[in-house]
Amino acid sequence: MLKKNLICFILALVFLPVFSPAQEREGAILVGANIGNVPWEFQDTDGSFIGFEIDLVNEIGQRLGRDVEIVNIPFNGLFSAVQSGRIDIAISSIGITDRRLESVSFTQPYYDSDQSLTTVIGSGIESLDDLRGQIVAVDTGSTGDIWATENMEKYGFSEIRRYEGLAPAMLDVVIGRVKGYISDIPALLYYTRDKPNLAVVERIPTGGRYALMMGKNAPLVIDVNTVISTLKQEGFVNGLHTKWFGIPAEDNTSTVEVRSMPMPDVELASNFVETFLNMDVFMQTYPMLIAGLGTTIQLGILAIVAGLIVGLGVALVRLYALLPFQIIAKVYIDIFRSIPLLVLLIIIFYALPFVGISLSPFYAAAVTLTLVSGSYTAEIFRAGIEAIPKGQFEASQALGLNYRDMMKDVILPQAIKIVIPPLTNNCINVIKDTALASVVAMPDLLKQATQAQAVAANPTPLIAAAVIYLAFLLPLVLWVSRLEVKFKVGDR
Amino acid sequence: MATLIELKNVEKHYGSFKALTGINLNIDEGEVICVIGPSGSGKSTMIRCINLLEQYDPDGEIIVDGIKVQKGKNLKDVRAEVGMVFQNFNLFPHLTILKNIMLAPMRVKGTDEKTAEKTARALLAKVGIETQANKYPSQLSGGQQQRVAIARALAMEPKVLLFDEPTSALDPEMVGEVLDVIKVLATSGVTMIVVTHEMGFARQVADRVIFMDDGQVIEQGTPKQIFDDPQEQRTKSFLKAVLKH
Ligand SMILES: Nc1ncnc2c1ncn2[C@@H]1O[C@H](COP(=O)(O)OP(=O)(O)OP(=O)(O)O)[C@@H](O)[C@H]1O
Ligand SMILES: [Mg+2]
Repeated sequence: MLKKNLICFILALVFLPVFSPAQEREGAILVGANIGNVPWEFQDTDGSFIGFEIDLVNEIGQRLGRDVEIVNIPFNGLFSAVQSGRIDIAISSIGITDRRLESVSFTQPYYDSDQSLTTVIGSGIESLDDLRGQIVAVDTGSTGDIWATENMEKYGFSEIRRYEGLAPAMLDVVIGRVKGYISDIPALLYYTRDKPNLAVVERIPTGGRYALMMGKNAPLVIDVNTVISTLKQEGFVNGLHTKWFGIPAEDNTSTVEVRSMPMPDVELASNFVETFLNMDVFMQTYPMLIAGLGTTIQLGILAIVAGLIVGLGVALVRLYALLPFQIIAKVYIDIFRSIPLLVLLIIIFYALPFVGISLSPFYAAAVTLTLVSGSYTAEIFRAGIEAIPKGQFEASQALGLNYRDMMKDVILPQAIKIVIPPLTNNCINVIKDTALASVVAMPDLLKQATQAQAVAANPTPLIAAAVIYLAFLLPLVLWVSRLEVKFKVGDR
Repeated sequence: MATLIELKNVEKHYGSFKALTGINLNIDEGEVICVIGPSGSGKSTMIRCINLLEQYDPDGEIIVDGIKVQKGKNLKDVRAEVGMVFQNFNLFPHLTILKNIMLAPMRVKGTDEKTAEKTARALLAKVGIETQANKYPSQLSGGQQQRVAIARALAMEPKVLLFDEPTSALDPEMVGEVLDVIKVLATSGVTMIVVTHEMGFARQVADRVIFMDDGQVIEQGTPKQIFDDPQEQRTKSFLKAVLKH
């Protein structure tokens, strides 16, 4: 999901010259939505998109005489999507904040919301005060994330774990890996209404106001805002409230009253540099990125070292052990080279708890990467050892060397030379693959960057993350190329 | 003289192909044996069974210095007593000449590094390449490499040396230098089994010549008997073919 997000973002960059008055195009209004965010936008049993905000944008489209097309985009991808003009409007119970107003525009709000704490009934967590020393779940870059980050010390949370939406977060709450989920109250009231083991135990007053998010000063904003005023006066918006929450909204709320469009305190020039290479945003988010880099490097090194050990062991078993063990090694190698890393990671993280093995995101990612890297490393070592001429083994044996000394002093030192280029390639892959760990709420470089870009509503942290990845992977890539050339010329 | 190596009814199958048939041999301590015979006759296979680089069929038996040659913990004792020199040298390319020779004494016998190095240098002097000690194998000529390989085998002070066509991979001008080293060894009292195509060499150094064909020992005797008065038809036609060249 994140990968897709990143790709969208990069594509947006590529098409920047068209930067993009999407709203001036003829045809449909493109609306990005984090589908699954009940009751705002989610899928009906027949697969069609329904919800409060879906109804709202469809009605707005009708009033403007334009079709509406819904695109599913994860929450933290919505910001770069409106900024790059890839979509015209973003919906997903997005709260208006001053930070966000610096880089995007909002219509008037149509819903007043607070945050909430949701827990498992009987887990002993009945209020925020019970969360001291516990892990809480939030959605990456959401209002709940911003609130939890600001109040981390006050309530003494041991950690804030960041998810890509309600479903994975609630899965971990139910498993017990995190003790509570801080998120928008309407969504959680709606979600828990038919789940007797879950309860919204506390309202967290944050004064959130949901509005449609659009590109900075996009011409369409004014038109859409005018339509929303009309819809409020006609009682349509309150009708949606009744439809989706069962009761009408109170009179003095922004669901009923016409409000003015929120404006930023200071108007910043919106240009390429301000958007993608924003120095202020970079300085603010730099510490987060460095922390993320630390996690990425730790995870990468752990998985590389463990993968080497596992790989060497498996390669030796595969080559020289008794037949049944050889078969086991081969099965291991084949399975873990075939299974997509992300699938394995999700199984290890979300499925193993059901058999009593509950790993932290870091160790789940480390185990996954080690298992996969180990299988590739095993094949690399096997090829390296098999490339050593038979005569080397025979000479060692004839001299009376035992197996250990033969491998240690004769075979492996020669094999290492052969395997260094492919092993280095594998290391590069492991480091790149650490980015996948952000889907299990691990605060690696990519995760930190997406969070930072959602909070600041500015893609600069993503650019910075890409540059950081390049800065330490590019030298490795170049080094491997040189090694490969060197060994091809061959001094063996 | 005491028997050092005994082969009793040794046979070897590769799948259904029979590479050795009913080999019975007694080799005395200090004896120098040359094994001759056409290509594919089982010469290599036979000597490789002696240090178990090839596993022979279970019915037969090979005994070296009173120890049965078989998998298990006695194998290292056999291998410590049996040195081998290969057609393709099989030096360790990542180690210097000196380290090539020092490795096995240090690892197998626990010799300390100083002693191992001293012995290695003495052996290099014996085979006439003491100046090459710190080079790598790839920097030496074929003849020099094979002499290193001989020194490497000697470093383990084996009672038996097996040579599998030690000069076949060499350029003709280097054959002599290697054969000279082996000739000197032959007079030093070490037991040797040399598989060779060099008939002149065999005639000169062998105490006994063994002619093999088709996985069997066809005929054996002193060089004089075999080369000058062969009894078997197959021996005669083999010698006629090789000596014509
Ligand atoms: N690993 C093996 N698998 C199957 N057959 C083999 C194998 N090694 C040797 N042979 C066969 O066994 C027979 C004897 O081989 P061997 O190498 O002992 O002959 P040789 O007398 O040493 O011949 P050369 O003079 O060519 O070295 C040959 O027919 C050969 O093809
Ligand atoms: Mg041979």
